[in-house]
Amino acid sequence: MTEQQPILKADDLSKRYEDGVLALDHLNLDVRPGQVYCLLGANGAGKTTAINLFLNFIPPTTGTCTINGIDVTKDPLEAKKYVSFVSENVMLYGNFTARQNLDFFARLGGKANLTKENYYHVMRRVSLQEKAFEQRVKTFSKGMRQKLGISIAVIKDAPAILLDEPTSGLDPKAAEEFLEILAELRNEGKAILMSTHDIFRAKEIGDRVGIMKEGRLVMERTREELQYEDLVKIYIDYMRSEPLTA
Amino acid sequence: MWKTIVKKEILENILSYRFPLFSLIAMILIPLGIYVSQLDYQKRVRDYDEQVRLAAEAASSLNIQNVMAGTVAIKGFRRPALLSVYARGFEGALPGYYEFTQDGAKPGESSSAEESILSVQGKIDFVFLIQMVLSLIGLLFASDVIAGEKEAGTLRAMLSNRLPRDSILVGKIAGGYLALWAPFTVAFLTGLFILSLGSFPVFGGDAPAKIFGVFLAASVFLLAYFTLGTMVSAGAPKTRTALVSILLVWAFFQLIMPKLSDMLASLVYPVRTETQVSLEKSLLAGSLGMETAKELGRRYDLIFRSAPPGSADDTESPENIKWQAAKAEVEETARARKAQQIAAIDETYRWQKRRQQNFAVNLSLLSPSAAFARIVADLCGTGEMARSKYAEAVQAQSRALDAALFSKVKRTLMIHQDNKTSLGFSAQPVDFKALPQFTIAPSSLSDIFRSNWKSLLSLAFWLIAPFAAAHALFVKYDVR
Repeated sequence: MTEQQPILKADDLSKRYEDGVLALDHLNLDVRPGQVYCLLGANGAGKTTAINLFLNFIPPTTGTCTINGIDVTKDPLEAKKYVSFVSENVMLYGNFTARQNLDFFARLGGKANLTKENYYHVMRRVSLQEKAFEQRVKTFSKGMRQKLGISIAVIKDAPAILLDEPTSGLDPKAAEEFLEILAELRNEGKAILMSTHDIFRAKEIGDRVGIMKEGRLVMERTREELQYEDLVKIYIDYMRSEPLTA
Repeated sequence: MWKTIVKKEILENILSYRFPLFSLIAMILIPLGIYVSQLDYQKRVRDYDEQVRLAAEAASSLNIQNVMAGTVAIKGFRRPALLSVYARGFEGALPGYYEFTQDGAKPGESSSAEESILSVQGKIDFVFLIQMVLSLIGLLFASDVIAGEKEAGTLRAMLSNRLPRDSILVGKIAGGYLALWAPFTVAFLTGLFILSLGSFPVFGGDAPAKIFGVFLAASVFLLAYFTLGTMVSAGAPKTRTALVSILLVWAFFQLIMPKLSDMLASLVYPVRTETQVSLEKSLLAGSLGMETAKELGRRYDLIFRSAPPGSADDTESPENIKWQAAKAEVEETARARKAQQIAAIDETYRWQKRRQQNFAVNLSLLSPSAAFARIVADLCGTGEMARSKYAEAVQAQSRALDAALFSKVKRTLMIHQDNKTSLGFSAQPVDFKALPQFTIAPSSLSDIFRSNWKSLLSLAFWLIAPFAAAHALFVKYDVR
């Protein structure tokens, strides 16, 4: 069986900001269809910078990142066709109902002409309560917003999904439900790159887990390798280790 | 894709508290302002009709003796401008009539002469509402167009899709503006409906085209302010910063710039007042009159000093024939001299005034508000064009009455060498029923647009420049 081509790929990717801070240092990673890649690391380790580079929110200093084989820097609009994004605090329009938000972002994602039933179906799929479908989002809890955020990613039906600390601030039940949805998406063949602080859930959902420190990917393990290693210990050891030299 | 943004912007605005609030303000203020202006216009027209009737009655009993006695004052009235219901402009400040006498035209009192200080400072008409209320609301609507999305993080979510930034900007401006424009349009049409209910000749002559012009100018003006607000919003990191900046921008363009331009113009190019010029002309006329009277007296004395008694009364006597020729020559020379010197004073004054006004106009056009006010006032017949046309009509009427009436009676004042004075009259027949009527030429739409090209250019600039700046700021915006 031939190995599938990566959907998300960072190749020697670096980012140095105008103030001289090196936020990302020669990152190499790839995420293939049906894989969840979890990026662990402390605040400022470069996880969000990596995601920002994939979304072309900032240009790389060196290296390339591709989505579905398209260089994000060269053709950002084409590349964005193949990716969905869910952030820590899902940004939605508070005065819109869940369905109206879903409709707007679906249209931006290129999915016009969907019916009310299509939207309801997706919201049911992410376990959003039925009564919330036509409620204004400003009344939603963080867990509900997160579910709606993932439903936006689901409805876009892009082959890649970028998640920036999606379980941060969620209660255990909501976080567990969120991971179930992620597992479903993985089973559908989506390539998922998730930045997180949550070591336990990273181990639970991640097919591969990378630890970042000071902009560098200092460790990478597969699900199989982690069966024999203690991820918590590895993570803490890396965090406690001496600062990396430039 | 931008259509999706337009729809979203409209929906977001409709669902927000400010949309019904703005709609309510527009729906109350605009029709109410127009209704009150209509009542005021109807009263002014009634006053005008009454004054014209009384003046016609007085004119019907005029005869040549009145002219010889110097008690004739023919009045020329200015009919209130129909579309002053939209823009009062100079309507209250211009004299309601001019009085034409042998000594020239004198302005009657303006209707604002009897008003309180509060009214003189500015009446609440359609232009005022657009300039002071709707422009501010438009800017406030625009304050969070970009900054709000930045702050809420929704811009990040939008930009994670296949969506060019210029589509977002165009969509947001179009959608946000439509949410503002729709209630304004409904309010404007309601005002128009109220006018038509009050038997106001909305559909007569070129009024529909001019009313449409007013609507168009107001729409463009609001769009210019909305785009200006979007520019500020695109440059501000937060909605609150955008809001404060917008208030400063509004105060500068709305309150400071238009008034500053007149003040600066009068400092840079000071011009004497019209009263000073009028007094100078009176002094000149008096002085020339005295010189002429002395010259006539000298010539008279020279001719008749050694003439046989009774020759001055004998129209056939050689001395009298010689005197008539000398008198005609002196009077003609004096008339030409007086006309030349007064024309020189008038020309200097007009040139200085024009230079000052041009400076003020050019400076004020840096504000879209001034450009809008000038265009609309001219469309409504209450602007600078109307003032010029009024002044031209007064000059034309002066000349016409001079030729048809005042020149028919000649008064000859002589100061003799022994300092005695004598006054003689001569009169030609006058057809009082055929005296010229005072009329003011109306301004056509093409005249108005030709005369307002600078204002149109200013509005176009204020549409394009803020959009270009907003685009530049938004494209560079770091979405992190």
